[in-house]
Amino acid sequence: MVIESGEMVAFVGPSGAGKTSALRLLNGTIRPTTGVVRVNGEELSDLNSKSIKALRSKIGFVHQEHSLVPNLRVSQNVLAGRLGRTSFWRSLRTMIRPPRADLERVHELLDRVGIAEKLFERTDRLSGGQRQRVAIARALYQEGTALLVDEPVSSLDPARSRDTIDLLTSLARERGLTLVASMHDLSLAREFFPRLIGLRDGVVHFDRLAAEIVDTEFGSLYQLDSEEMWGDGC
Amino acid sequence: MAVDRPRRPAPVGARGGLVLAILIAFAWAVWQLELDFAALFPSGARLTILGDFFLGALTPDVSSLALSEMLRAVWNTVVFATAAMTLALLMGIVLGFLSSTAWWSEDGAAKGNTCVTCLRCTICPAVYVFARLFIALFRSIHELFWAVLFLVAMGVNPFSGVLAIAIPYGCTLAKIFSEMVDEAPRESATALRAAGASAMQVYCFGLVPRALPDITAYAFYRFECTLRSAAILGFFGFETLGYFIKGAFQDTDYGQTWTFLYALLALVIAADWWSGAFRRSFAQ
Repeated sequence: MVIESGEMVAFVGPSGAGKTSALRLLNGTIRPTTGVVRVNGEELSDLNSKSIKALRSKIGFVHQEHSLVPNLRVSQNVLAGRLGRTSFWRSLRTMIRPPRADLERVHELLDRVGIAEKLFERTDRLSGGQRQRVAIARALYQEGTALLVDEPVSSLDPARSRDTIDLLTSLARERGLTLVASMHDLSLAREFFPRLIGLRDGVVHFDRLAAEIVDTEFGSLYQLDSEEMWGDGC
Repeated sequence: MAVDRPRRPAPVGARGGLVLAILIAFAWAVWQLELDFAALFPSGARLTILGDFFLGALTPDVSSLALSEMLRAVWNTVVFATAAMTLALLMGIVLGFLSSTAWWSEDGAAKGNTCVTCLRCTICPAVYVFARLFIALFRSIHELFWAVLFLVAMGVNPFSGVLAIAIPYGCTLAKIFSEMVDEAPRESATALRAAGASAMQVYCFGLVPRALPDITAYAFYRFECTLRSAAILGFFGFETLGYFIKGAFQDTDYGQTWTFLYALLALVIAADWWSGAFRRSFAQ
């Protein structure tokens, strides 16, 4: 499987298919048991901890549960996006008393994702949708080259789901980012992502342009055998 | 196909057995100690003393002399407790960090160089084990025992009293702080690591903030305990509330004894109220 720079791809498939694992392989958070993962030509298993940190700092990751620190301010959660590029002492200073320029940049990003007024709000006071926008702003603040997004709409209503995917794809387009998302919602995946990769049991079921995929292929991707039907999907 | 009905749990399960074991242990302890429950109901001279003591609760000494002594005792107790708690907090933070695993725990996917691997696999675990042993040893010795030791070494010196409280309290704080951070929810820490943060950054900005409300609440609770301990140290000659309680009690001046006991009660209630107010502000 090859994902080109600037491409927008969605992983689709049933629960437990390996979509999140695939995303985590791409930023080197987990290692492959077989095969190799290369990012910009570099094999991730060969990288030492310093190089892997440098690589991760260039790849934004929006987690399914947003994974923000709830009792920190929104600004601090976004500023944490750049920890990978700053020394410990500098990051300590930035987290306690951020320089004006950094704060302005954070404010701009929050404005872009539609929650500029929440800059100094405590994160646990925000709604689920707003927290997700904070997580997106944190990933953007990394100013990397790729954005990995895990199940971005799993906890949102249909209208907000569409808004979020629209926001993510437009951000990726305007900043030339490679966007890889795992998606449960097939219709949104087909509408917004030019290329879909169907996963099932950790195996690529199909890897095609969204427009070329016929409904029967989705049907067979989600067809459960009796064991899967009664399993917990993990 | 018929499905077997799940088995009904036994009426007296493991929990029932545990309750029974506790009751047997209690009965055995009572028998071993030859506890005489009749002592709970004193008679004669003892009853008179007890009566006088509790009568003192209704008529505390509110003379200006007693009140000025009470204020001095309260002030000394607070100063002792504050100094001891400050020292204990410093110890708790430093030893808590050293006895925590979260700041050096392995990032499974990253391949460290020899130096980093050596640090993670040998030095950090060794520091951790040493710090754990240190805090276990120094925590297990009660502050009153420390007070006896320091009194022998330094005499009735405010510093000996402060150290006597600070050492066991600092080690208890270290144990609780480290466990709170190590057991803090990990998802935000995982996200920071995925963004390239170092282990120390993950510890400070992903784990400590999540544990901070609990750490603060616990530190406040320990401050309350420090106030009581500082008061008790008065029995050893430090001029805190215990010193005055002991003096008044020995003079059988129960009214004055109660003036100091009420002051201790008010102090603990004030500390509890303050900690509650602080926790509420933290939660907002």
